[in-house]
Amino acid sequence: MSLPSFEVVRPRTLEGALEELERHGPDAQMIAGGTDLVPSLKQGLFSPRVLVDLKGVRELDFIRFDREAGLELGALTTITRLAQSPVVAEYFPVLQAAAKTVASPLLRNMGTLGGNLCLDTRCLYYNQSAFWRESLGYCLKKEGTVCHVAPGSSVCWAVFSGDTAPALMTLAATVRLASPRGEREIPLRELYVNDGWVRLTKRHDEILTAVRIPLSSAGWKGTYKKLRIRNSIDYPLAGVAVAMRWASDGVCQDVRIALTAVNPAPRLVEAAARLKGKRYDPSLVDEVAHEAIRTAKPLRTSASTMEYRRHMVRVFVRRALNEVWANGPHC
Amino acid sequence: MNKENIRLRVNKRDYQLEIAPNRLLLDVLRQDLGLTGSKRGCDDSSCGACTVLVDGEPQMACLMLAVSYQDCEITTIEGIACEGQLEPLQRAFCDEGGAQCGYCTPGMILTARHLLAHNPRPTDQEINEALSGNLCRCTGYVQIIASVRKAIELLEKQESGVAAAGQGG
Ligand SMILES: Cc1cc2nc3c(=O)[nH]c(=O)nc-3n(C[C@H](O)[C@H](O)[C@H](O)COP(=O)(O)OP(=O)(O)OC[C@H]3O[C@@H](n4cnc5c(N)ncnc54)[C@H](O)[C@@H]3O)c2cc1C
Ligand code: FES
Ligand code: FES
Repeated sequence: MSLPSFEVVRPRTLEGALEELERHGPDAQMIAGGTDLVPSLKQGLFSPRVLVDLKGVRELDFIRFDREAGLELGALTTITRLAQSPVVAEYFPVLQAAAKTVASPLLRNMGTLGGNLCLDTRCLYYNQSAFWRESLGYCLKKEGTVCHVAPGSSVCWAVFSGDTAPALMTLAATVRLASPRGEREIPLRELYVNDGWVRLTKRHDEILTAVRIPLSSAGWKGTYKKLRIRNSIDYPLAGVAVAMRWASDGVCQDVRIALTAVNPAPRLVEAAARLKGKRYDPSLVDEVAHEAIRTAKPLRTSASTMEYRRHMVRVFVRRALNEVWANGPHC
Repeated sequence: MNKENIRLRVNKRDYQLEIAPNRLLLDVLRQDLGLTGSKRGCDDSSCGACTVLVDGEPQMACLMLAVSYQDCEITTIEGIACEGQLEPLQRAFCDEGGAQCGYCTPGMILTARHLLAHNPRPTDQEINEALSGNLCRCTGYVQIIASVRKAIELLEKQESGVAAAGQGG
């Protein structure tokens, strides 16, 4: 498939990139690794006049660990670098586990952390060629008026399908957004909107420059479980991230559970709070795994059924908690 | 659309080209430079048949805007044979039946080359993982793994040959 016509500008500094975004306004779109955007451009899902290529903005490619400030990851860090980082492996295992499952080795060499967090939402009725979508009269997310997975719905149910966002949410990560108006830092979970069309609270001209994980999240045990048909390449059909901190006697001091690919936004599971102050107990784990289903609202946005995806959320929460907690001290 | 004058460095050669900014590197390689070794398999960024090395790292040319890769060293399958001699991976894929229709082979070889450059003695699991972004519809992968193993043997022989020659000299 061929690409629509556009210009490509290649700024070398963050300041230059912000200037380009200001100059071209709504006509511009950012591109980093292009692994999400280029396939969408081929399918005619976007028609930007100008692509602002961030790859040359080297100041956004870094991993910094500071014993006071915590971990800072530049938006241009590739998923491969993230997965191979010794600091990430040692202090933030849930993030490494999630990064290692993103797409395929080739795509991880290209895809960036910023692109992974700003990923467009996905749906069987949206990620299709222009011809395919036209024959169905389009959909609510793009050019149409009806959501084909939930006719009558006023919101779009396309799912957020990134793997690193849930892991970062269990680590209480924040993201830094820069625009011509200045900079702001918000909790990662506030970047997302649970409507597949709106998706992000980020404004069009805001560049996600970095992700910060507070030092208080360092050392949390964690893991990531992902449902996919093939063990490589495929986007998640459901994903569960768990991170936990326990005391030396094995009592859970704090825990977070986050889900991806089962809602238009990645979401934290509130029922995780029930584990705080408790010792490892398989029946309590079962109870929280069961409750987690309430946070998952997958519809028929993929080739797999929603029943299966919901069921696997429960199975994965249980497995992940068992894996992380059962191996703790004094259990 | 305005064309741009760009410089691409492919297989250690510099090219000056005038191309539209929406051209994919895969098309520029195949259509403008006549380097048809890189294949278009799926065109939806999942098969890896279009794999090229970008500064030594395997990436997918069907996702790359050519204008954005001017500062990189690009290597295609045409660029790895040395002075008319097949590279050990190429040799091994021939000997072990690692290529049937051959469509996935350039991508497989380039990805395997990157693996062996960083991990000269990988386990089967490591080979599997490294190649998991390159799909093959013919071989069932068994001969591909065997080819990579054979290449490792050839490389080891080459090395010990060089070492022996070095000692002799
Ligand atoms: C076959 C296939 C399978 C995949 N499987 C997975 C998977 O399993 N899990 C997964 O998580 N992803 C998957 N992906 C998606 C993708 O490869 C990764 O999410 C990747 O990290 C995206 O990063 P990118 O730099 O390539 O994004 P791009 O395509 O460059 O950008 C994606 C979006 O983010 C915006 N953007 C990029 N950088 C910034 C920034 N710094 N600030 C603001 N906006 C920005 C762009 O404008 C665009 O809208 C898959 C892709 C393909 C093609
Ligand atoms: S043609 Fe590029 S991945 Fe299939
Ligand atoms: S040999 Fe035919 S696709 Fe691999």
